Amino acid sequence: MIQVFAFYLFATIVVASAAMVIFARNPVHSVLWLILAFFNAAGLMVLLSAEFVAMLLVIVYVGAVAVLFLFVVMMLDIDFAQLRAGFVSYFPLGGAIAMVLLVELILGIGAWQAGSLNLAQRTAPLPEATPNIEAIGQLLYTRYIFLFEAAGLILLVAMIGAIVLTHRARGGTRPQNIDKQNRRRPEEAVRNVNQPVGQGVDLGGVEL
Amino acid sequence: MVDLSQYLPILLFLAVALGLSSAFVFLPMLVGRLTGSHKPDPEKLSEYECGFPAFEDPRSQFDVRFYLVAILFIIFDLEAAFLFPWSVSLGEIGWAGWTTMMIFIFELVLGLIYAWKKGALDWE
Repeated sequence: MIQVFAFYLFATIVVASAAMVIFARNPVHSVLWLILAFFNAAGLMVLLSAEFVAMLLVIVYVGAVAVLFLFVVMMLDIDFAQLRAGFVSYFPLGGAIAMVLLVELILGIGAWQAGSLNLAQRTAPLPEATPNIEAIGQLLYTRYIFLFEAAGLILLVAMIGAIVLTHRARGGTRPQNIDKQNRRRPEEAVRNVNQPVGQGVDLGGVEL
Repeated sequence: MVDLSQYLPILLFLAVALGLSSAFVFLPMLVGRLTGSHKPDPEKLSEYECGFPAFEDPRSQFDVRFYLVAILFIIFDLEAAFLFPWSVSLGEIGWAGWTTMMIFIFELVLGLIYAWKKGALDWE
């Protein structure tokens, strides 16, 4: 009973907030609605006893991806009036994409009613008592090792690409060089002088 | 469907957090109205001392450097997330699984060294 109630609560909020993502006028509000949708999708994953996937949704999607979306939205110089002006010209393309999605939905429902698919290479289901996270771990690092390492390489490429695209040395700043500070010896910094009385101090080229 | 009764403590925590935070918000408003100190006027509602009238749109453009910080965070966040199933199933997957993870970490350490050497981790 409580499961059914929780499912309908989470599912309704997911669908409603997903609708608000596309209906919100302000892109920042869209991202905030998206975060709500992610949270409730995590709740749905908990209902499926996929706790690790729920944790991933919260940590990776809410914690990192949504923040990245927020930064991207804040970085774009969006003129809202200009954004809405193109609605009519973009309508045919958008309508075509919507029609494709609708056809896919209809085909998917039809395929679902046609019966189950007999996959040739099926992974044997793990025993019911194995926790979700252990089940993932037992497959991901042994059977799907190639995909896992490829994912690591993709992350590496993403990191290098982001650095190449966005990082550039900025002139006019004087960053702290800790290594240089630590290598400095007293002989370079301190000078002992026998100062005669009544004469000015020779600063030796020190800029004040 | 899963047995949800084990999530009862989390639900209780959520309820307590919701109750406390709404109390902090609405209790001062209620007390202010009940004791008669809630008498707003234009001078009270204006920005003074700790604020000033906004002189530009708060949606100014962000520096692109925030994007680099966010993407580096995502990548190391994912790496940490992959460590969890690895650590709980290390007994079953043995040395092969251990080596897999070490190669994965090595790939990302390469990226970390690159980012460090390029100065992408420094703000200025």
